[in-house]
Amino acid sequence: MSKTTLVVALLAVAVAAAIFIGPAALSADVLQIRLNRVILGIFAGGILGFCGAILQGLFNNPLVEPYTLGSASGAALGAALGIVTIGFLNPLFAFAGSLGVGLLVFVIARSHAGALQDRLILAGVIMSFLCSSLVMIIMVMSGRELYEILYLLMGYLGVIMNPGQRVIAIAILVLSLAIVIYLYRHHRELDILSQGAETASGLGVDTHRLSRNLFFATALLTGFVVSLVGAIGFVGLVIPHIAKRLFGPKHLRNLPASFILGAAFLLLADTLSRTITVYELPVGVVTSLIGVPFFIYLYSKR
Amino acid sequence: MNAIEVKNLNFSYDGKPVIRDISFTLKEGEFAGVIGPNGAGKSTLLRLLSRILDIQQGEIIVQGQKIRELDRRSLARAIGFVPQETHFTLDFTVADIVLMGRYPYLRPFQAESVGDREIMEQALAEAEVAEFKNRPVNSLSSGERQRVVIARALCQQPKILLLDEPTSHLDLRHQTGIMNLLKKLNGQGISIVIVNHDLNLAALYCRRLILLDRGTIRSDGTPTELIDEKLLKEVYQSEVRVIRHPDHDLPQVLLK
Repeated sequence: MSKTTLVVALLAVAVAAAIFIGPAALSADVLQIRLNRVILGIFAGGILGFCGAILQGLFNNPLVEPYTLGSASGAALGAALGIVTIGFLNPLFAFAGSLGVGLLVFVIARSHAGALQDRLILAGVIMSFLCSSLVMIIMVMSGRELYEILYLLMGYLGVIMNPGQRVIAIAILVLSLAIVIYLYRHHRELDILSQGAETASGLGVDTHRLSRNLFFATALLTGFVVSLVGAIGFVGLVIPHIAKRLFGPKHLRNLPASFILGAAFLLLADTLSRTITVYELPVGVVTSLIGVPFFIYLYSKR
Repeated sequence: MNAIEVKNLNFSYDGKPVIRDISFTLKEGEFAGVIGPNGAGKSTLLRLLSRILDIQQGEIIVQGQKIRELDRRSLARAIGFVPQETHFTLDFTVADIVLMGRYPYLRPFQAESVGDREIMEQALAEAEVAEFKNRPVNSLSSGERQRVVIARALCQQPKILLLDEPTSHLDLRHQTGIMNLLKKLNGQGISIVIVNHDLNLAALYCRRLILLDRGTIRSDGTPTELIDEKLLKEVYQSEVRVIRHPDHDLPQVLLK
């Protein structure tokens, strides 16, 4: 069986498990709820894996993911603010947070000389810390919203939406797909960037413009993900490594692989999170719990 | 036609001038070496010529077109750039790396054509790395890797090659190997500008030398005109002796 078939089969298994496994018997209502989770899981897992692969390629650094660059923390901060001020997870607050912090990171990074890429990482890490502190303050001062913020910070696919929110969610999915295709167009530039910015410039890549565009596009996508399902960690960091090990360094292949593997991984983690205990664990906890040992195994095998 | 014209070029990093009012013309088919002490502005000049750095003041004209008005991909079809050292952080094969030289000719998602692959094979053969084609580039020695980078630049089918100290990390055999390769390419009509710290190597291979000192052109001429004890002593602030090479009628520099 080819690797591509294997990966697609894995996603199919994950989707089937997400639909058929669970404490309740499969009725029309339950099916509806689980299909919602499947769609959100594919969207969030796919995008986080994909963005991680884009960013690791862009920054030529295997440790970069949406969380390193501040946009996820910014989205979480925005969403937390939304929860305490208007009472529910509002996508607009999360976008505002991710784009606002992304912009701030970019401005800080650009105000210094030197390689834009290195500066972006540094500014992103610093802003992530600031956002985390601000979220903590919000949590300390919040009352009964604390529980909701906690789930926001760890991620949760079981969001129940009213019709208005559903329309927003569908718009987000469509827009995200367009941005993903836009990002995928740059697969060859990312291959070239692995040899350094100077080489890339010499081959005709406008590295500054590319860094800026890819940075903001991934920040926007991260904001979308956090606004719908909260801040799910680990997927964006680890999935691209697995995709690269399976499909090699060419981004033409490892970018879609990161998307599919991320989607499958998050769905499996979500199915586990709602079946292993009587409580439903936040999915972000499960992604780390099964992801870390797997990652260690993968790297010790090398 | 002129390959490159540089007119009144100025450039500064954070307000510190590095290139001061440099003007020169590189004719088609020339083999020019840029020499000078550390910090003279050699690498900066090369980065400006290949538009890795954007010019601040003055003009660079590449094959009759202003560099600022050329889009980057067109420029990459005219000029190939070889950096001092390349780190390959991902596990690409030699063929993958060389094929990336086709980037300025390809649109997103457009697969490399049979023609592109033929150009790649030619570049591999030209740079004498065809035998490594399917090997991971990181399994090669630094001399072999430098040839792969030159092959990648050749895959751009450039009229001009710019090289920033391409031999500085290499042993004697690979140094002469790279320089002989450049000589051969120059014989095929590619204009070459090479930044080189090794004055003797430069004197042996370059037919024209441009001596930079603190951001300006101190002297510009043939090796015989330029390699001069008094001039070098002044610019490099060290005592040297200049002798003739016993086999070639060219100057060589000895430390005193």
